[in-house]
Amino acid sequence: MRAAIAHLVRRHPEGGTVTLVVLISLTFAIVTGGSWLSTGNLQSLSQLTAVLAIMAFGEAIVIATGQIDISVGSVSGIGALTFLGLAPVVGSGFGLVAALLFGVLIGGINGVFVAFLGIPSLLVTLGTLFLFQGIGYAVTSGFSFAASNVVRKQFIYNGFGGGTVAGVNTGVIWALTILVVLQLAVFEMPVGNRLLAIGGDAASSFSRGVNVTRIKFGVFVVSGVLAALSGALDAAFIGYADGSFGAGMELSAIAAAVLGGCHLAGGRISLIGTLLGAFILRGIQSFLIILGVQPQWYILVVGLIVVLAGLADRTLTRLVLKR
Amino acid sequence: MRKLLKRPDLGIIIGCLFIFALFTLYDPAQWFNWGTVSNIGEYTAILGLLAIGQSFVVLIREIDLSVGSVYGIVGIAFVGLENNNVSDVLAFVLAMLLALLVGLVNAALVIRGKLSSMIVTLGGLFFYRGLIYIITHGAVTGVPQAVRQNWFAQLLGGHSLRIQNGFLLLLILGFLCAVTLHETRFGNHLLALGGDPASAESRGVPLGKVRTIAFALCSLFAGLSAIVTLTNDPETSVSLGTGMELEAIAAVVVGGTLLTGGRGTMLGTILGSFFLTAVRSEIIALGAPPSWYVSFVGIALLTLVTINTLLLKRLRISG
Amino acid sequence: MITGSDGQSRPAGSPKKPLISIKNVGLSYGNFQALTDVSVDFYQGELVGLVGDNGAGKTTLIRIISGIIPPTSGEVYFDGERIIKFHPKKAIDLGLECIQQAIGLCDNLSVGRNYFLGREPVRRILGLPFLDKKKIREASAKVVHDFGLRDSVDVDDEIALLSGGEKQTFKIARAVTFRNRVIIMDEPTNHLSVRERTRVNELAVQLKQQGLLVIYITHDIFQIHRIADRIVILENGRKVTDVPRDAMSAEALEGIIRDGSRTSTKEPKVS
Repeated sequence: MRAAIAHLVRRHPEGGTVTLVVLISLTFAIVTGGSWLSTGNLQSLSQLTAVLAIMAFGEAIVIATGQIDISVGSVSGIGALTFLGLAPVVGSGFGLVAALLFGVLIGGINGVFVAFLGIPSLLVTLGTLFLFQGIGYAVTSGFSFAASNVVRKQFIYNGFGGGTVAGVNTGVIWALTILVVLQLAVFEMPVGNRLLAIGGDAASSFSRGVNVTRIKFGVFVVSGVLAALSGALDAAFIGYADGSFGAGMELSAIAAAVLGGCHLAGGRISLIGTLLGAFILRGIQSFLIILGVQPQWYILVVGLIVVLAGLADRTLTRLVLKR
Repeated sequence: MRKLLKRPDLGIIIGCLFIFALFTLYDPAQWFNWGTVSNIGEYTAILGLLAIGQSFVVLIREIDLSVGSVYGIVGIAFVGLENNNVSDVLAFVLAMLLALLVGLVNAALVIRGKLSSMIVTLGGLFFYRGLIYIITHGAVTGVPQAVRQNWFAQLLGGHSLRIQNGFLLLLILGFLCAVTLHETRFGNHLLALGGDPASAESRGVPLGKVRTIAFALCSLFAGLSAIVTLTNDPETSVSLGTGMELEAIAAVVVGGTLLTGGRGTMLGTILGSFFLTAVRSEIIALGAPPSWYVSFVGIALLTLVTINTLLLKRLRISG
Repeated sequence: MITGSDGQSRPAGSPKKPLISIKNVGLSYGNFQALTDVSVDFYQGELVGLVGDNGAGKTTLIRIISGIIPPTSGEVYFDGERIIKFHPKKAIDLGLECIQQAIGLCDNLSVGRNYFLGREPVRRILGLPFLDKKKIREASAKVVHDFGLRDSVDVDDEIALLSGGEKQTFKIARAVTFRNRVIIMDEPTNHLSVRERTRVNELAVQLKQQGLLVIYITHDIFQIHRIADRIVILENGRKVTDVPRDAMSAEALEGIIRDGSRTSTKEPKVS
């Protein structure tokens, strides 16, 4: 019996998260008398989940190599501000491209320090978190950027978070697309095999001829782009952004990844789990709002969940690695 | 000379001399103004106390991301108790016991739960912040004027010879911690654990005990820092201490302590706090928006960490 | 071309070109001189024991040969061609495989994925390189079977589930089946049981008999003296001895290692 469970868990690290999703969905639906499952709530929940998940996917890829990226909150802020700031001037298409390029740039800075100079990623991304948070505040100097009516009608704006397709926010479609692409890259392609290998044992990967430096650099660029995209999608949905946009999101993104079964030590991640992790965090948030509980309980619950997810994960790993 | 070059805090010593010279030449009127000095002293004390606590944890290769929230909740507990007619001393003791409890919980989860300290304290960061919101309902609280004037508040928040008592406290505690770190058995154990846990264990270092003390000290210092802040400026809000964990880590690292453990000094940590604070004060004095300070912390962190890492690599190679 | 284990264990025949040639190689880390002026040739089809105390420079020499670090002076030739760019990938592409004690396998990956790490077989779908999972599974399963690992080992299981000896055997198996020309074994029998040790040494001899160059690093002179064709001893970063196995007894060689200050430079004659 235990061997069977161990086998199941070994092949499907997101199994625990799936169970949790089912459990909380049922509980929330019953406790709220169905209103948690209302179309309105599910629409907003899916948009919130998508934005967090896109950021968390990038985080998961970085975590896969045994690094961490805590700059993603600031990067999403820069992405949002660039998108909304430039869209009225140069159109939302170029605005979006510029936002993504900033993501590449910041991710690239992180990557250079981590991969080429060998500085611990926690410190590097802590540094860029501060650096670009300050720049975000300075750029807006206390005001917020809002999308004009002209911008709101533009196709790109609607296609990237500002509009809906069949009642579903376009951000959700992007999240699912990115999930599919990353899932294939990480688990079905050589680059993914090498990425996970680095997280498992960088020295061994190097001895097998894996270009450790290049892959480490690459994951930070991917994380930067996804964080910037996440910020742009969310800003388009909300319609305005100020200097504090994205602040604190890095912690939710890490929480989603951990909740989804990604090991902070590297080498083992689940992207589907990460999506579900984001869903759980956002689900709890919307549940608390519907219940009329102070929304701040959410923060407390996230704290508990992170630690409990860590403990559960620990137990599962021990079970899995038993010979 | 060679010994000096090997000091982990060399970078920050040079950094402090540099900004001291720069500000002296550039803006002496502002720099040698008692108001500025006093301001810098006060904030250096607050950040320095947080950072000293964080140093203990970083020296054993762990990290404590919860200190900002712990700072907040201990401060709010302290003020809340005072407002409920608990005497200051008792309020202080109870608030510090709360800090100790948090430290012990962190340590237990890391040691018994075998979790990475990043996860545990990331959870703590959220949890205690949530608790603050729930307890205070988002209200801003202050302390009555009468309480501000009594001897205990004066002891931690007042002045001696025009110098902030909080700053003197930082110097005294910093000195004691430096002695503990370099002259006692516990300090040796701490550094050994940070340098090479397996070897430390094989030489009989009680890893669990050392880790527990390090986490407890970290939370206690965070609590103390909050109380020093509040005796000086007794107003709390839900955002009390938000982001302080990152600033404290920045101060520690800028001060030359390695995130990989086992190497660092308390002097470096205090100078790191001074460095960040002094530049912040100058940025505000120059009329730049305060947000530039946040960017500056980021740049200082990146630059000094890079210098420290590269210097260390050179030293390692040349034996 | 190659003589077996008939005692006449030098590469026979006409003067042969060395497969790997190390010429006056030195390596220093700052003030520390890890290798000084080391010159040694390795030939196809021989099993060379590279012996020396801890810190003698064995592992450093191997790291240079397998492209992990470039030397600070001297030259390295592979099959007559000078190596300019040092990178493990290049060494692997040249057909050189290094089996190290602690590294080589990523615990978090499956047996199959470890087997192909760094040279994963792909199937192109829409021009994109997708892992050929069928091939990965079949090829690694065959290796697991051929090298006598437990039947219960599933190639989709994480490699962390294997024992130390199984992992070592697996690394050797991987080295062998990729049609390499050079196999370097760095202390391959450390932490192994007596039976596993015998098995690994038998594998080393088999590889040589298949015409590969095997460089076997150890500090156990008695163990290597039984199987090697030639013994090279390093001491304090210098080559002190390079003799055919039959030229000296294991005891005499042990004396050289013990008495590190004495230098003996008997260059073997390549007839």
